[in-house]
Amino acid sequence: MSAGRTLRLIGYVTWFNVRMLLVSEFFVLLTFISPLIFATLAFFLFRLGHGGSGQTLLYAALGSGMMGVWSTTLFGCGGAIAWQRWEGTLELLVNAPTRYDFILAGQTFGAVIFGFYGIVTTIVWGMVLFGMPLQATFPLVLPLSLFAAVISLGALGMLIATLFVLYRHANALGNLLEYPIWLVAGLLVPLTRLPDWIQPVSWVLAPTWGMEAIRGATLGDAPPWLAIGMCVVLAGAYYVLARVVLVYVLDKARRDASLALR
Amino acid sequence: MTPASLCDEPMTTTAAHLSLPPVTADPGSLRAAWRIFWRGGLMSYGMLFNWARPSIYFPTLIGGPTFQLLFFAALGSYAAGRSPAYFALGNAVQVSALAGIFGMTMAIANERWFSTLPAILATPANRIALFAGRFLPFIANGLFVSLYAIAFGVIFLGVRFEASTLGVAGLALLVTVFSCTAIGALQGAISLRLRDGLFGANLLMLTFLLFCGVNIPVASLPAWMQVISNLLPFTHGLEAVRQAAAGAGLHRVGGLIATEAAIGVAYSVGAFALFSYLERSARANATLDVR
Repeated sequence: MSAGRTLRLIGYVTWFNVRMLLVSEFFVLLTFISPLIFATLAFFLFRLGHGGSGQTLLYAALGSGMMGVWSTTLFGCGGAIAWQRWEGTLELLVNAPTRYDFILAGQTFGAVIFGFYGIVTTIVWGMVLFGMPLQATFPLVLPLSLFAAVISLGALGMLIATLFVLYRHANALGNLLEYPIWLVAGLLVPLTRLPDWIQPVSWVLAPTWGMEAIRGATLGDAPPWLAIGMCVVLAGAYYVLARVVLVYVLDKARRDASLALR
Repeated sequence: MTPASLCDEPMTTTAAHLSLPPVTADPGSLRAAWRIFWRGGLMSYGMLFNWARPSIYFPTLIGGPTFQLLFFAALGSYAAGRSPAYFALGNAVQVSALAGIFGMTMAIANERWFSTLPAILATPANRIALFAGRFLPFIANGLFVSLYAIAFGVIFLGVRFEASTLGVAGLALLVTVFSCTAIGALQGAISLRLRDGLFGANLLMLTFLLFCGVNIPVASLPAWMQVISNLLPFTHGLEAVRQAAAGAGLHRVGGLIATEAAIGVAYSVGAFALFSYLERSARANATLDVR
């Protein structure tokens, strides 16, 4: 399969998945409503403590938006393979002439890109209701930061999709992993406020560097090249791991004739 | 196995069942109502509450609340500069809503999903007993989740209770969990008519976090938000728990507890009225299994 056709396939599946998520009430809540509520909560809390300067509000808005991105990634990707099973399309997709990991990549990128709509909504919410200023110290670096964040979270989504399929109740894992990653990735609370032993955990998480890249381009004193580079490195590592797990899982499912079963 | 033999077996079984003495219980009797309340409530918990299995229960109702406490304790102490214990206690009470809201939504709405609603509504069972029986397991479950979270807060996040008013705090917690379960019942009745009942349940959970003084003192909210706060469960009950934890007796927090109880009763009556209306409407329009 040529590179052009592969990109076209991933792009098509991504767009298809975004459209599917748009009609899901749960994902609309997760992506658009939940970040607004968390942003409002954070705005009030920061106002109680720090006085709520423009920079603080933007910090809170970006963090709350990224919380929505993580939730969408977690639930959208965690249940991706399970949903295909329930809908009876998994066998067809796995046995299609195209590689299944490309289809899965499209699905996970769809969930992540859908999640990023939430950041835009949160920023508009902060500007309209809380008078938050819209600023970016490195506006030209910002698109690159966003792109790096999308690919790293998308690759992490692939890894989540392949790992969660081993657990019977993927949504329960989603419920478990939402808050800890919000905390450990430093989305609203700086990592320096957390115990030292947590920091190495945060270094291997895409949301940490994705947030760092976006915040660096909007609020930072220097361009966030390290964060952008880490996003790319992590994306590669996640993809390789996801591919290894996926090959193992699919091979096992074929041998045991349990592709459609749990 | 041929189709004929498939038919033969159930006929024999049915004949055996028919030979049993008929049930003589009067569906209108108090004994039957108690049985529906107690046995029916327990059965509905076991069968309709999707999370009542360890592989879902522990990640969702133990793990999730644990991290929620840690997250808000860290965020609150960093952003607002208050003690982590304030946020830990607020969230420890609020996590009972996981059982109350989601549980009651599932206990009512899943009757339709699992196609047991027509069978239930076809029986002459006492509706109040049927409906009230659903509450009890979820109140117990909500209390358990909340008590676990409070214990976690006491051990790790500095939550403290005045020993002399521990009973008052317990009473306030019980009433709060009841009123939360009551709004869950209302949500469950509403979700009988919705495509995705859990949308409303999720929205309620988020609303409690913002409006009910769980993380932000109600007095710090804008006036229009305070109006909503006062109509929701948790607001008065949580305040009563906080004050009792600090040593306030029943004479000081009794009013808050009574208000919380009244809110719970109002939501319960509203939920039952809506359930009864939907039942009548579904019978009249033959839409029991139709959305």
